[in-house]
Amino acid sequence: MNALVKAQNLSYKINDKKLFQGISFELLKGKALHIQGENGSGKTTLLRMVCGLTKPTKGDLITLTDKEVCFIGHKNAIKQYLNVEDNLALMNLNNHHDLQKYLSVFDLDKSLDINIANLSFGQQKKIALLRLFLNRSDLLILDEPCVGLDTNSQEILVDFLKKELANGKGIIYSSHIFLDFDSDSLGI
Amino acid sequence: MQVIKFEFLKLLKKSRGWLGPILVFILIMIAYPLTVEVSDVELKQSFFSILWIAALLVIMLATEDIFLEDFNDGTLEQYAILQKNLSFIIGSKVFVYWLVIGVPISIIGTIFCVGTTSQTAFGYQILPVLLVSTYIFMNVFSFGNALSLTKGSVLGTLVTLPLLLPILIILGKVVVAINFDLNYSGFLLLLLGILSIIIMIIPMIISYIIRAHLE
Repeated sequence: MNALVKAQNLSYKINDKKLFQGISFELLKGKALHIQGENGSGKTTLLRMVCGLTKPTKGDLITLTDKEVCFIGHKNAIKQYLNVEDNLALMNLNNHHDLQKYLSVFDLDKSLDINIANLSFGQQKKIALLRLFLNRSDLLILDEPCVGLDTNSQEILVDFLKKELANGKGIIYSSHIFLDFDSDSLGI
Repeated sequence: MQVIKFEFLKLLKKSRGWLGPILVFILIMIAYPLTVEVSDVELKQSFFSILWIAALLVIMLATEDIFLEDFNDGTLEQYAILQKNLSFIIGSKVFVYWLVIGVPISIIGTIFCVGTTSQTAFGYQILPVLLVSTYIFMNVFSFGNALSLTKGSVLGTLVTLPLLLPILIILGKVVVAINFDLNYSGFLLLLLGILSIIIMIIPMIISYIIRAHLE
């Protein structure tokens, strides 16, 4: 099997308002899918469906991976009152062999003892993104991953995603900032 | 074990979360005999009601935002995606809260009990009852807070408060048994039985509630 996600005729309704309907797609290994749409069109909801957090009102969605899904959402899932090192431990990344490399790339290696609350929004986003850079997944789900990132960090992110695609991983993402790599588009 | 270690780290770094309830408990225990004009005999009789009520209120206070922070910052979202066993994480979290807040309250309550009754034997009997009952309170209030996670904590807590009335009645019976030197171990076993059911069921129910909130 080459497919990572199969979605058939997905619909989602909040109260009586239809957010989207009849969405079908298939994500193959080594492919990326860009979910496009206006604010409030249901991009985040669709991404959360793929993660298994939200159930579709109608339709079928199958995720065909044995490994855990890597999800980077709007919420960073980091603790403001802990320092960077403690947060990395909480994310179970403190023993990852590539950790030092990405801490240096994002210029965070000298900030390990600083509380997250004292870091800028962009730096906090970079720490949250370490979950992506050090992932152990086949399927990467990214919801607006570039928000708060400077141009250099965006380029690092794009290069990383290109490598992940070359390694046969699948990516589903939504972004209002253009990310320069090959991907299929799905408008909702 | 790693989950428990991380929950310890999170709670201990938030001193407001654990020190506040313990200080409130000490304050109630100190303030009560100072604010009522009663004889020693009457004080001994009414002390235990204050002890149970204080433990109940303080645990209610301690569990006020047990899941709220993890929910708001996306940690629960990540747990729900990554970890298959969300109920184990929730059970561990409640256990750590009990260890950091419930156990000190039980020990402090026992010290005040010995101080008020002037009988060390009372302390030995009350300590296990306090330990078990605070763990029960912790679980039930966590359930209440999970219910109203996105709607403010008070509502859920108020809904679950009546569930603890049978426990308070049993605790009253325990004190009567101890006062009259009767065998109170039956009540302790009953509380342990209730606790063993609660620690199996409540984390599972909370995990369903949290998944529903995340949806």
